Amino acid sequence: MNLGISSFLESYKKVIVAFILIVLLFALGGLIVPNFLTVEQVLFTLKLASFTALFALCQMIVIAAGGGGLDLSVGYAATLTAVLTASVMDGQNANLGAAILIALALGSAIGLANGALASFLNLPPLVVTMAMANILQGIVNAYTAGRNITGRPSPILAIVAAKSTGSFPNILFILLAITILVMIVLNKTKWGTILFGVGSNETTAYLSGINVKVVRCFAFVVSGILASLTGLLLIGNMGIAFKDMASNYVMPSIAAVVVGGVSMSGGDGNFIGVILGAVFLQALTNLLIAFGLGDAGKWLVFGIVLYALLSFYASNRRSR
Amino acid sequence: MNKTNQGSSKLALSNYVFRPEFSSLLILIVMFAITAILQENFFTIKSIVRNINAFAPLILLSMGAAVVIISGGIDLSAGAALSLFTCVLTTVMKKSDPITGIYALLITFAVAILVGVVNGIGIGYLRIPPVIVTFATSYIWLGIGLFLRPTPGGESVAWFRIFYNPGMVEGISPHIEQFGRVIPPALILILIACFIWFIVSKTKTGRYIYAVGSNNDSAYASGINTAKVQMQACIINSIFIFLAALFFVGQNQSGDARMGDPLTLRAIASAIVGGVALSGGKGSVYFALVGALILNLVNKIIFFANISTAYQTLVSGLIVIIAIAAPVAYTLYSKE
Repeated sequence: MNLGISSFLESYKKVIVAFILIVLLFALGGLIVPNFLTVEQVLFTLKLASFTALFALCQMIVIAAGGGGLDLSVGYAATLTAVLTASVMDGQNANLGAAILIALALGSAIGLANGALASFLNLPPLVVTMAMANILQGIVNAYTAGRNITGRPSPILAIVAAKSTGSFPNILFILLAITILVMIVLNKTKWGTILFGVGSNETTAYLSGINVKVVRCFAFVVSGILASLTGLLLIGNMGIAFKDMASNYVMPSIAAVVVGGVSMSGGDGNFIGVILGAVFLQALTNLLIAFGLGDAGKWLVFGIVLYALLSFYASNRRSR
Repeated sequence: MNKTNQGSSKLALSNYVFRPEFSSLLILIVMFAITAILQENFFTIKSIVRNINAFAPLILLSMGAAVVIISGGIDLSAGAALSLFTCVLTTVMKKSDPITGIYALLITFAVAILVGVVNGIGIGYLRIPPVIVTFATSYIWLGIGLFLRPTPGGESVAWFRIFYNPGMVEGISPHIEQFGRVIPPALILILIACFIWFIVSKTKTGRYIYAVGSNNDSAYASGINTAKVQMQACIINSIFIFLAALFFVGQNQSGDARMGDPLTLRAIASAIVGGVALSGGKGSVYFALVGALILNLVNKIIFFANISTAYQTLVSGLIVIIAIAAPVAYTLYSKE
């Protein structure tokens, strides 16, 4: 493989397009809406987008493993974690460790259940994770029935997820660290090769001695753990836990993956692109709110822009 | 499974027992039995009519979902489309002017075709992954719905009740009223949907829908216009959703831009529980009806068993997993 500038452009084409689109969105906002294009506003957009990006990372890993992988339970895993850990943390730093342990245990249990059903029993991931979403929301409903969700996040968590250093939101440091980690794992270790190998051609992967089912199951486990930890960050950001705090992230997380240029059929993944996808969606939402379009106009334009965007670069027309 | 039984008689029980639909049928029978035990007057006409009314929207949407899934797509915009149709119906209709009901029917039907076409262009012609393109269109439907009906409400002509209960329409002939008491309009709407699919499945289009769903590339290579077929599947789905919207407006006399949202995933789950393969090309549209019945009966059982409604989502999630895992476990077991 030669790493000339043209091959670089080719492989990062969609990432570059996503980046240009974001710049255009901000430029448009800056021209039309006063005070849209300020450093604070941009950083605020990035902060909001970082949660979508983290859920989209879960999604990307599952999608990259192929086999029609998708995880519709990410938002619900996060909600359940947040609701359960709220009372455990009770606003004390000393309890943060316990909360993280709960998040890890919960995340891996959810991921394992998803993975076992989808991978070993060969059930469609879309339906399995959708049913899992119902089950998790059901547990949240049952847990919160007839009582208030008490407890607050520990102060450390609030600092990490909600506060800023100067005007730079701390959550972006976390996102940066995760990005570097993900890039190293996916591009420099054999884990990435195995994941993408299973996603792009499961027969070849199988013949090279890789246990395809285990890898796919493991992708779900990673997704579950990451989703639960993101749930912790969410409660840190919001200060309270409530019944449907993260369910609205599920579909945007899939959209971010697609806008970020990752193929839905598996076998590739680029977290930087996915982050840009999340930022694009967030910037678009902010811009539409800033225009004062109201709910109807906001969702209508959001849908049309997404559709137009998808028809340009998620389309498979040229493949035959 | 079928291959091993090829030698035996066509009527052999094993030919039917080993089909994935069989286990969903078994689950349905068990569900019916439990419900009949829990609810004393389950088999009275009044109760059956009430159940059909309660089940109708999900049944219609699940049949539509099945058609799209069999054609190799999926529709995440079904609930939003249903909401949109109720908004269009109640916006066009004016309570004082009965003729507006006819206009509303025609305009909404045109909107339904358009909705199917837009989804079909995305799935079929542009070949965008169906999950994501119908997610995008769901926001378009939601936006238009909210534009027409920012809050639930709107007007409906009085005779629209005929889609819910003819007895509630003033001045209707007593024969139709009697008939409606035994055969509710909801059942007729479902039968219309079944009839539409029955006709379609006897034509080339019906066979092409299966062919395109099971292998898009080879269908394309053998000269089938796959994009057109997938669009036709989307339009059929849209028409079924339109039928559900008629029932909904007949029942509630109002429109709501968000009422359909919870039905989207339940409709897909119903189709899968009814044995439709998410990979496309396999399954029966009529068995989606069985899946929808199962999911609806679960809710009834939870209600009658005095289980707190807080557990409703939890239990229905578990049932979906059991219902889709059962055929697999069953096949593994029967192989040994």
